[in-house]
Amino acid sequence: MHGTMPLLTALNLRKTYVKFANRIEVLRGVDLDVAEGEFLSVIGNSGSGKSTMLHLLGTLDQPDDGTIHLEGRRIDNLPAQERDQLRNHTFGFIFQFYHLLPELNLLENVLMPAMITHSVWSWWLNRRELHKAALEMLDKVGLSHRLKHRPKELSGGEMQRAAIARALINRPRVLLADEPTGNLDTANGQHIMQLLRDLNQREGLTIVMVTHNLDLVHETDRVVRLLDGRVELPEKISLPAFATAGAGK
Amino acid sequence: MYKLLLCWRYLKTRYLAFACIISVMLGVATLIVVNSVMNGFSTKLQTLLHGVLSDVVIEGHSMEGFHDPAERIARIRKNAYLDSQIESMAVTLEAFAMVQFEHRGQREIATRPVRVMGIEIKSRSEVGGFQEHIASYRTVKKNNEDKKRNDPLPAASFAIPEDLRKLYEKAEEGLQNFRENEFKKAMEKFKEPALPVPMGDGPIGIPDDILQLMRDAKKGQPAAAPIPPPMPVPHVPRVPPGAIVGHLIAHYKYRKPETGKIVEEPAILPGDRVILTTVSGGEKLMPVYDSFVVVDFFKSDMSEYDANCIFVPLEHLQGLRGMDNRASNILIKLKDYNEAGKVVKALAALFEHERLAINTWEEKQGPLLKAIEIEKSILNILLFMIIAVAGFGILAIFSMIVSEKTRDIGVLKALGASSGGVMKIFLTYGLLLGVVGALLGTILGLAITWNINGVEAFIAWLTGTKVFDGGVYYFSEIPTDVSAFAVFMVNLGAIAIAVVFSIIPALRAAMLHPVQALRYE
Repeated sequence: MHGTMPLLTALNLRKTYVKFANRIEVLRGVDLDVAEGEFLSVIGNSGSGKSTMLHLLGTLDQPDDGTIHLEGRRIDNLPAQERDQLRNHTFGFIFQFYHLLPELNLLENVLMPAMITHSVWSWWLNRRELHKAALEMLDKVGLSHRLKHRPKELSGGEMQRAAIARALINRPRVLLADEPTGNLDTANGQHIMQLLRDLNQREGLTIVMVTHNLDLVHETDRVVRLLDGRVELPEKISLPAFATAGAGK
Repeated sequence: MYKLLLCWRYLKTRYLAFACIISVMLGVATLIVVNSVMNGFSTKLQTLLHGVLSDVVIEGHSMEGFHDPAERIARIRKNAYLDSQIESMAVTLEAFAMVQFEHRGQREIATRPVRVMGIEIKSRSEVGGFQEHIASYRTVKKNNEDKKRNDPLPAASFAIPEDLRKLYEKAEEGLQNFRENEFKKAMEKFKEPALPVPMGDGPIGIPDDILQLMRDAKKGQPAAAPIPPPMPVPHVPRVPPGAIVGHLIAHYKYRKPETGKIVEEPAILPGDRVILTTVSGGEKLMPVYDSFVVVDFFKSDMSEYDANCIFVPLEHLQGLRGMDNRASNILIKLKDYNEAGKVVKALAALFEHERLAINTWEEKQGPLLKAIEIEKSILNILLFMIIAVAGFGILAIFSMIVSEKTRDIGVLKALGASSGGVMKIFLTYGLLLGVVGALLGTILGLAITWNINGVEAFIAWLTGTKVFDGGVYYFSEIPTDVSAFAVFMVNLGAIAIAVVFSIIPALRAAMLHPVQALRYE
């Protein structure tokens, strides 16, 4: 199922936040491999550094120390412009609070990464294909009937599905999900998880999902726990019976 | 692509941005209106001044003027270059004078200081700036234009209409007859004092009636000695020469109590007599005066001329002032005004050793034109401050929008937008506000400019105070002249200010760390 070379590798990642006289050492040497097509969940207590690690993996932030490689290519120290391109093409982000842009309708929100990719001229030339792709994505997440609606007119579940469609429009290699169900009720949470599972299984999309909801981890291929700024060894992770059953399948 | 879309959406959904647009719009509109009005003033003034003044003026240094203007004209014509450049010339004699007339409205004698100008109608009309300002000419011309007629335009003239001439002659005769009759009557009443009669008693040699006078004088009563009547002036029937009087000398304005509107009424009419008192030429100044018959009015729409000038026949004024064959100015009309500088130099060379001032009309009116230019520059600077204030509005509002949009900026960066891209969103937003504000301001400014007199009338109606008083300024209406270059520069300046003031918020947005932006509450 997984290739020999990990798609994403983090080695000895360290990150410290300094605020006034306080130094908060969030990551203290995180090592992590993510295989291509893997659905990895990252769990841990609040403040354990889950989101920070996700941001570092997605080049939204840079580590104080350590390296991140994407298919063997070091990406943590790339110039800003190349990191922007990586976030646009290679990584897709979904967030707990969806973060759709309120001024835009659903279709425009989904098309936003593609708009960032294309210049006005290039957009004009490719507008039909891009619209078609956005419609397919929205159809895939079951929102093709809500194209012209603004985010405030949607439910939480719908907004998260729209955020997933947005994250996928540029066909990224890795989907980085930060608490994607954290703001949803159980039914909607299950719906989103099912969607992510489908994307992973049917399209081979690599997903790294941060969550502190242990009920969800059984849907994923592998679970890692962050503890004291480090990844806990898999054998030490103790999950509830239902979670363990699902994990690592 | 996303920058344009977001700019457009921010513009449509952020009502605060409309405050920026309105301030830019008002600034641009104000600048356009003020510039156009100032330009209008300047252009109209130049047109009118040039319309009244000839291209080049040769003038004497004093009221004495210079001798033999015809000889000078002949010398100018002998110069091949000047002859080829000069279309026509006219001799004038100018002097300060007092005019007196019976004011028709106030029913009393009115006295005003004026500039009396002795001209030859034909040559003065050829030089230009005269014929077209004569009231009767203007009336016929306007009638022709309004009613699409083709009536012949009357030539300016000092000639008194025939019926009026007869009336004056009859009046002169009547006056003479009256004087003669009065003389006869007085002579009949007048008794020669009787010669002294030698008497035996009483004062010797003093007649009784003289004694009575002496007694009266002692009692303090005035002595009333019989005075023989003056001899009548020999009869020389004479009709006074014609005069063309400035429109504002001959008319007055007042507010009609019934309507409350300001109306213009004539103080004198063609056919009325005016008396001009000026000074004679020569070393010893002597007051000289004569009466003239008003034949027409001069209406150039420049109050300086309309309220001060009275034109009379040149020869008559020369005779009146004892300045035969003298003139104060030679007015010159050129074939091509672009050659004015060279012509002035050539004239200066020709009259090198004579005390004559030779100037173009622009040089003569230089201080006035310069003052308008300076006023325009100062006003522009002051008014640009309005747009600068709008710029600070943009700065404040953009800073608020950046704060409000912090998380969205984080999202955009997470989706791959570069810092430069985020900066461009806000710079483009500023540009868009500037462009929309400038565009609306231009439309508003042009609309006001093109209807400035209607706007002025409305404000006057609203406030009850006349904003633009034609009596104060040179013109009866607010003149405007829209300069495309000025409109372009105002727009460019407004847009540049909008962009410059959005740089700081745009930089702030660009420098936002995506993770901190995403966590922003």
